[in-house]
Order: sequence, then structure tokens, then C-alpha cells
Amino acid sequence: MMPIWTKSGEKHAVTLLKVQDCHVLRYVSKEESGGKTAKLLVGGKNVSPFSKPESAHEIFREAGVPRKQKVTTFNVTDDAIIKPGTPLYAAHFRPGQFVDVTAKTIGKGFQGVVKRWGFKGQPASHGQTKTHRRPGAISTNKAAKVYFFLKMPGKMGNFFLTSFGLKVWRINTKLFFFYVNGSVPGHTNCLVKVRDSKLPTYKDCNKNPPFPTFFADGDEELPEDLFDEEIFQFTDPSVTFA
Amino acid sequence: RVSSDGKPPKFQPPPKPVIIDRKTEKEESRFLSPEFIPPRGRKDPLKYYIERKDMIQRRKVFNIPEFYVGHVLAVTTANPLASDKCSRFVGICIQRGGTGLGATFVLRNVIEDQGVEICYELYSPRIQAIEVLKLEKRLDEHLMYLRDALPEYSTVDVNMKPVPRMDHEEIPVNKVQVRMKPKPWSKRWERPKYNIKGIKFELPEHKMQAAQKWSQPWLEFDMLREYDTSKIEEKIRKELSEELEK
Repeated sequence: MMPIWTKSGEKHAVTLLKVQDCHVLRYVSKEESGGKTAKLLVGGKNVSPFSKPESAHEIFREAGVPRKQKVTTFNVTDDAIIKPGTPLYAAHFRPGQFVDVTAKTIGKGFQGVVKRWGFKGQPASHGQTKTHRRPGAISTNKAAKVYFFLKMPGKMGNFFLTSFGLKVWRINTKLFFFYVNGSVPGHTNCLVKVRDSKLPTYKDCNKNPPFPTFFADGDEELPEDLFDEEIFQFTDPSVTFA
Repeated sequence: RVSSDGKPPKFQPPPKPVIIDRKTEKEESRFLSPEFIPPRGRKDPLKYYIERKDMIQRRKVFNIPEFYVGHVLAVTTANPLASDKCSRFVGICIQRGGTGLGATFVLRNVIEDQGVEICYELYSPRIQAIEVLKLEKRLDEHLMYLRDALPEYSTVDVNMKPVPRMDHEEIPVNKVQVRMKPKPWSKRWERPKYNIKGIKFELPEHKMQAAQKWSQPWLEFDMLREYDTSKIEEKIRKELSEELEK
């Protein structure tokens, strides 16, 4: 994570996300998947093929691509279908676009109620006998039962979490990375799924995105760095207020 | 010359000239700002490479001078609420923290009997100018104990003129022993973990010896804590010199 400054001098914290060897693996039609839209299977990060059996390599062999560490599905409309085997690049996104990022949170193991759910616990002194970080009461008298959804100690973390509506500040087409506003779930160097935001406020935010994706062998020639309009570029002189 | 046996004298090759390359000597002692050195961790080096590129880009446009903890600096920042739209602060640098673009330094001064500390970001675009008024290093890496010292050690004249200095002179080390206010202090500076050399401890002997109870003499031999930055520093220096010459 690093800081980024706008032209008005405000600072924002930004996460660097790298697009590493992403390829489209398979197209699953609407009827096959049984959902509302067609699906595209996409794989990230190349990994050694020797740690999995041959049966697991079928998808990758069909697409003509080395074995990927992670395979995710994206729900896609019929006009956005891509041929399996096409590489996906960071230039698929544009600065100023809003994005949802999904990843598995850092696993904290079995945790008590104070850390897991933020309960206040009990005081440290004034007569408390062996009760400092316990949940206290778990139900009322009239209920005569414990509700199913009660917050109790248990395994914390290591589940999929999505951060919605993160702005894309900067995209680099040569080294395939882009900056995303705020923090992202997961540990450093973990694999992350980035998707166009489906929040209703950002429905019309994406103006002229590369549709269905950015093709490297196409005619479009992009500069190495694409910045959002509001970013302060370090080639400019210092910010002054008139 | 008179030869010994009438034979011609044996050929004496001329002495080899000793070349003292002043340029390489200077380059070795060149200063590398501490925020360029990446911390030890498992992050992708790509992130540090990109941060360095951005930092170099900023340094080409805006001059960030070489300074250490203990220097007296004057910083002008853009301030939308001030009448002149810019504000100037003079103070002693007591700490340099952070790595990469988020590198910060804290300036301390006592203005009208009120101690003021301001933390500035080196690469923030709101900073208009950084001037080094007085160059002097101190015995410690950080001067946080000035908060518990007598205010005369933190006061710096706001209208101070920059002290002239020759380029090739070494930066002088100020070995002043600072006198403290009576205890309690914000931190127990007499304890060996802070390793402060710039305080004149006027505590009784038994208290100084009691503080040595918290010493951890095994820490300097801990191999897992070693972080040898010499090779990394060389690479970064090379990169810096190449980029700044462009």
C-alpha cells in the first residue's frame, strides 16, 4: 500500500494489484451452468504442473495454457464472451473506474468473542471472578432458547470477503499493475478477484471501457502509464492554492 | 652515476605512480536517503521499484536536500487557510520515519513557550521548499527526548539565517549532553533499550544501575535481526545516479 496525492493536495492510501498471467480458460453457456447468464472461467498466476494429477490439467490443456494457481468464474453477458486462451491484461480496466475486489481474509484461527465480534468483555478489576473476555449473557428469559445466529467464539478469518466500490487510480500497461483505492482483503501477495463494480451508484461510471477486453495484438496503442484526471503527477510542480 | 664494475647500471624501472581517484572516494561516502532502502519483508520488489521511480521523478522537479536528525530545517507548505496561502515552519528534525513515498520527518520548535512538533511528508506535493539552515548531526538516531528536556534545547530562532558551509567539509557531530526536566519523563530514557547518548543523566548511581536490569545484551548477537543493506544500497545508488543524470 502506498500514498497517492490529488491535485488539491489530499492524500489517499492505495493498494498495488498486479495482473500475473491471467488467461480465459473455458466458456460455460447459460443452459450448461443453469444460471441467469453465461460464465467464463478465468485462471491466474502460473504454477508448476507436477503437484496435481493429470485429470486436473484438462481445462488448461484445452485452453493451451500452463496450470494456474487459481480458477474463478465471472458471470458474463452474451456479447462479452471471449475465446478461451486469450490473455487478460491490466489495461482491461481504465482509471476512474470503480471495481469490487474479492479475496480470502487472513486466517486468525480460533478466536474469542472480543476479537472476533468486538464485544466489550468485562472490567479487569472490581470483583470480577475469572470473567474478563467472556460473552456474558447469550439469550433472554422469555426466549427460552439460544438463537441460531448468536455471535460466539469460533474460527475467524480465512473466508471470502469483497470490498465494494474501489476506485482505480493508475494503470500500467508495461508491467501489468494498477492502483486501487483503499485496502483490499487478504495477506500480501495473495490472489485476488477483481470485477467491475455492481453497486448502483457506479453503474454508469465506466465510460468507454475496452469491451469485451483489452487485446494486446489489437490496433490500440496505449501509453505506458494511464492516470486518473485528479492524480497529482510527480512531473508537475508543487501544488499551490490560489 | 658511477657504476660499480665498469658495466652499465642495471635498468631500474621507474616507480609506479600511485593514483588517488578523488571522484571514487567521494562517491563512496555519498549520502543515500534512508527512505530508499526497502524494509525486510515478503513484499514484491516491484512495489519498491515503482515507488523509487516516483520518488526520483519528484526529486527531479523538487529539490530534497540531504539532512539528518539534528539538522535545523525550514519548510514552506501550501496552506489554503493562511493569508499568504503558504506557511513556513522552522525546527530541529527529531525523527525520520517511513519508507518509500510515505517517508516523513518531524520538526520540533518551541514558539512562545509552547512546544510544537509538525510531521511533514517528504514527497507531499503541498511542500513548496525545504531549506537546511544548520547542519549538525547528533549522537542519537532520534531526538524524542527533547520533549522531556529543558525547552532551551528545542528552541530555534524562527528568523535564523542559513549557516554557511563548504561542500567538502564533513557534517559536524554535536556532542551536546542535554539536561532534562525532573522525572517523570514520557519514556524512561535511562533504560538501555533506547541507547541514548545525548542526555546528561543527573540521576543517582543506584537508579542508573537499576535501569541496567532491563538490558538485553544478547540482542546484538541475534543473527535473525541482522539486515545487511550494503548490496541493496549499492544497487539503489547506481539506479539513482543513472536516473538523475538523465
